Amino acid sequence: MSSSEVFAELLWAEKYRPKSLKEIVNQEEIVRRLMKFVEEKNMPHLLFAGPPGTGKTTTALALAHDLYGEEWRKYVLELNASDERGIAVIRTKVKEFARSKIPGDVPFKIVLLDEADNMTADAQQALRRLMEMYVETTRFILIANYPSKIIEPIQSRCAVFRFTPLKKEDVIARLKWICDQEKVKCRDDALEVIYEISMGDMRKAINILQSAAALGEVTVSHVFKVVGLAHPKEVREIIQLALAGKFIEARDKLRNLMVTYGLSGNDILKQLHREIFSADLKIPEDVRVILADYIGEIQFRIVEGADDEIQLTALLARMALLGRKLG
Amino acid sequence: MSAERKLPWIIKYRPKRIAEVVNQEDAKAKFVEWLKKWPNVSKRAVLLYGPPGCGKTSLVEAAAHEFGYELVEMNASDFRRKSDIERVAKRAASAHSLFGAKKKIVLLDEVDGIAGREDAGGLEAILQLIKTAGAPIVMTANDPWDTRLKPLRDVSEMIQFRRLSKHDVMKVLRRICENEGLVCEEQALEYIAERSEGDLRAAINDLQAIGEGFGKVTLDLARAMLRPRDREHDPFETLRNLFSARYAWQAKMALTQSQLDYEQAKLWLLENIANQYSDPEDLARAYDALSKADVYLGRIIKSNDWDLLAYAIDMMTAGVAMAAQNNPKDKYRWVKYSFPQKLLLLSKTKEVRAIRDDIARVIASHLHTSTAIVKSEVIPFLHVIFTTNPRYAAKLAIGLGLSEKMIELLAGPAKSEVLKYYREYKQQMESIARKEAEEVTQLKSQLQVYAEAGKEKEKRESKTKRKEKTATDLTAFFRKR
Repeated sequence: MSSSEVFAELLWAEKYRPKSLKEIVNQEEIVRRLMKFVEEKNMPHLLFAGPPGTGKTTTALALAHDLYGEEWRKYVLELNASDERGIAVIRTKVKEFARSKIPGDVPFKIVLLDEADNMTADAQQALRRLMEMYVETTRFILIANYPSKIIEPIQSRCAVFRFTPLKKEDVIARLKWICDQEKVKCRDDALEVIYEISMGDMRKAINILQSAAALGEVTVSHVFKVVGLAHPKEVREIIQLALAGKFIEARDKLRNLMVTYGLSGNDILKQLHREIFSADLKIPEDVRVILADYIGEIQFRIVEGADDEIQLTALLARMALLGRKLG
Repeated sequence: MSAERKLPWIIKYRPKRIAEVVNQEDAKAKFVEWLKKWPNVSKRAVLLYGPPGCGKTSLVEAAAHEFGYELVEMNASDFRRKSDIERVAKRAASAHSLFGAKKKIVLLDEVDGIAGREDAGGLEAILQLIKTAGAPIVMTANDPWDTRLKPLRDVSEMIQFRRLSKHDVMKVLRRICENEGLVCEEQALEYIAERSEGDLRAAINDLQAIGEGFGKVTLDLARAMLRPRDREHDPFETLRNLFSARYAWQAKMALTQSQLDYEQAKLWLLENIANQYSDPEDLARAYDALSKADVYLGRIIKSNDWDLLAYAIDMMTAGVAMAAQNNPKDKYRWVKYSFPQKLLLLSKTKEVRAIRDDIARVIASHLHTSTAIVKSEVIPFLHVIFTTNPRYAAKLAIGLGLSEKMIELLAGPAKSEVLKYYREYKQQMESIARKEAEEVTQLKSQLQVYAEAGKEKEKRESKTKRKEKTATDLTAFFRKR
């Protein structure tokens, strides 16, 4: 036994990620078609679309593994659109990568571009040209949550694969299997709760599982404890403060959340949106609808390039006003 | 001569007669009428208000001089204790002064100065003085609209002074130049007047600074000399001017004259709108205007269309200034503005944020995902593990290749425990690695021994072979023989 195995742990989302297409149990149809590409050692550009945690990235990496073998990393350029600074950087990286040598038995290398739907339409146009320019030596796998946010010319150049949320029994079986591997005690009702909370998002489910396991065993109370700790109550408090007219306190809390926790405006909007429909927040039903409209407008503005703190502060001011009208 | 020259011109040239007070005809008429009627007036005090240097104090002084009053002056910001007031009140009440019976005027300068203070005692004392004093009380203020000054406003005749025009200011400057025998360029006077923004006191001081120093007043000198005084408005003045603007152009001007650029102004407004406005609807309106300005700024970046900047500025200046509709008096409220906390927080949390970014990058590469997703979906769970299970956390830190700084951030209060295990495990790993390395060296040296032995064996074998050959050859040779 090597020393690193005793003292080093990994995140289970990484440790138990299927390495080969054969290990991917759900998404059978997709896997079957991809195996054909492996067999023929040829494939078109691909677009993997679907909600988070449904195995898009895993499938892409497994495909690369099956095509190139253990050395697959040499032949795959991984990019994440939300972390690369603009299309110019992407262009340079792709150009360089396209120049490196091609594996012996497969006639192309792979550029894996994650979160491609975060790119502006202009950047996508530039991307389309890149895809054409290097088509001799490279294939692109684009990954996106929302295929409709990918421009038509790119979609038409790709074989589109739609990933659907994982079935409950698949998620639970996988979680159970991981617990067996880790020799961690887990209760069935706890796994069900994890599935409910993660809503078919496997990565999230595994993160919750690992954190709950770190508390000793996977029980319902541990799962709730972990989720409660991980999702700060601040967001709900912000809503309550704003609706109570305590605007300045709400604003200060918001700022703390953004600056010290490093949450983006989008993260906070998502949590706000979840909270306003939560039964724990006692507000009239029609107010939930009004708030949803406000939040949607703010999200649109932030996407358009507005400053998230200013927009969220304006949102809080509107909530304070709404709160007063409620009495 | 030299003594006279040293006298500040604002004193030397202050009006001796009411007629010499520049261009405040309405105010003069109102004030004189009130003073003449006193004490048969509805309000026992007057409050003269208007921008600095427009002649409020000068009018009081000129009136006292002209009508033969003794002026009992007191700066309102000195009013702290009741005893101060009582002393003044006594002086004002006593019918006889050193020079016989002279009527008195009590002048309280800058009463708006007390509005910002915590001690309400000063205000109380002034009200008491107004009620009891046997002399007219005259107060001045730049901005009398603070809510805390309301009791004073209620008992005072309010008299407004207008901001002096450039023309008014120039007229006075010209007269002083003639009187001093100074050669003054007309453009220089215009320059000084313009910079003064209607503040005659400031303009006269400027004129004296140049005239006395150089014996002449030219445009070049004015430009060179007045640069330092010609400062842009600091953030506090900017906010005050912006919020108190009654017209859109005033609000826009507040930003033009500011040392803040629009990006900085945006942050100052974000911080301070809530301090200035109190009505929820006004507040929402103001923040809505600011957020629309911000939308325009975002569009500028996206479209590179800088023509849009004008609209962004309209919204953040006029839009914010005109938002106080339910409670317009909030506009003039004296507020202690605060520095944008975001900037402070950002610089305070710089290191923490850098470490958080590093953690996100490390984990993003492990998980093949973006740093944003790691920050919102993975780091929260790591926090949970690192604060609840230090042994496991230490192993994760090793497996993920996290630094000690990263561990400290993730573990928070549990950091010393996690670090203890982390170092312990690392040490054990290192000692195992060392042992294995030692074994490898041993094995290698053994191999060396074997290898050398192998060479020796080869050598002997070949020697034996050679000798054998020689022997056989020799045997064969002898056999032939």
